[in-house]
Amino acid sequence: MTSCPACLRPLGQADLLALAEHLGDEAEASEPAHVRWLNQNLTRKKVPAAELLPGLERVYDLGSGTLKEWIKARFISKFFGPVPHPFVTALQHPSRATLLGYVVEHQHFLRQWVRSCAYIMARTDEPKVILYELDNLTTEYGGPGPGRVAHYELLLRMGESLGVDRSRVLTTPPLPSTREGVEGWNDIATRQHWVAALAAMHSLELIANRNLVQDGASVHYFDPSILSGSEIPDAAKNFLREGYEADVTHSDEALDLVTEFGSRPDLREEVQSTFLRSIDLFDDYLLARLERAAEFEA
Amino acid sequence: MKRNYTGCAICDSTWGNVWAEVEGERLFFCCDICVTQFRRLVDRVKRETGWTSLDALDITGDRRGRTCVAASGRESLRFFIAFTPQGEIRSFGRLTG
Ligand SMILES: [Zn+2]
Ligand SMILES: [Zn+2]
Repeated sequence: MTSCPACLRPLGQADLLALAEHLGDEAEASEPAHVRWLNQNLTRKKVPAAELLPGLERVYDLGSGTLKEWIKARFISKFFGPVPHPFVTALQHPSRATLLGYVVEHQHFLRQWVRSCAYIMARTDEPKVILYELDNLTTEYGGPGPGRVAHYELLLRMGESLGVDRSRVLTTPPLPSTREGVEGWNDIATRQHWVAALAAMHSLELIANRNLVQDGASVHYFDPSILSGSEIPDAAKNFLREGYEADVTHSDEALDLVTEFGSRPDLREEVQSTFLRSIDLFDDYLLARLERAAEFEA
Repeated sequence: MKRNYTGCAICDSTWGNVWAEVEGERLFFCCDICVTQFRRLVDRVKRETGWTSLDALDITGDRRGRTCVAASGRESLRFFIAFTPQGEIRSFGRLTG
């Protein structure tokens, strides 16, 4: 099923022309998510719908690669291109304010993360996917066992090490972009096919995948040298190191599952559109971390 | 106001169909978020400079950040500006040279 990468509306079986017409209609109505998608992915110049078709075919074409490779390439060009995402730039050598912006907004993200993964587990009947999600939820939220705490707890400890109490973190409402992201990911997890949700959520773990540089990323998520030395507190190192270590396997394994279960012709374009929607939400969400960081700047 | 863009006053896109009056002039925008960005930009430049109006505005860059030159009479201001997804100013800085 082809669906719209800006609003996820289903548009028919392998029907990129219907998508082109839908994008053109929504843009004519000045709907911001559709105008944005056209501006950023196809062209800023208004053209008749039929002329969008070759560009759409290029966007959705896997070439000789797999779905996993297509997702990685798109992710890299959006967040790790010659000009990386501004949050990535800020995180290379993060200030206290940047890390606190991260803590306050990411708390909301991680709570939705658990819900999204739980929906995927509930909606799949593939044992491999269930096992994958169980492992992921344990690392991210439950805590992998005695002496090892979950990523969520490490996040709150990072905040405390920088002088912000967890009660303040937990009672701060999300900024608009974080709220929109959380709502969008909840919709994806409940309404899209579970493979599409799997792609939408776990592709985001590519952000901390330290092997992305080998695939063409211009920089790492942060400069790995900050994990040694005394630039940031130990609790911040522990939080960042956990993602740095866990997210390689998390994202790689999940994208292998996406390739295995999502490459069927009747599913592939829905998976692709849902991923594209998710990275737009994520782009905005990362900006919310910077917006929050500005509040902590002295 | 003399501008280098012929499409949307902020991003030069010709998609969309929003018209809004800013500084006494009816301008074309691709969406409401760009209208907000443009209004915030003009207000900020006026606040930074004390100008009462802008005669010219030149914009380059993209959503990651835009470098602009604004002019009023014989004065001009070069600056960097970036917005939140809602169109509010996220970062602003004067540039020299
Ligand atoms: Zn749509
Ligand atoms: Zn615009």
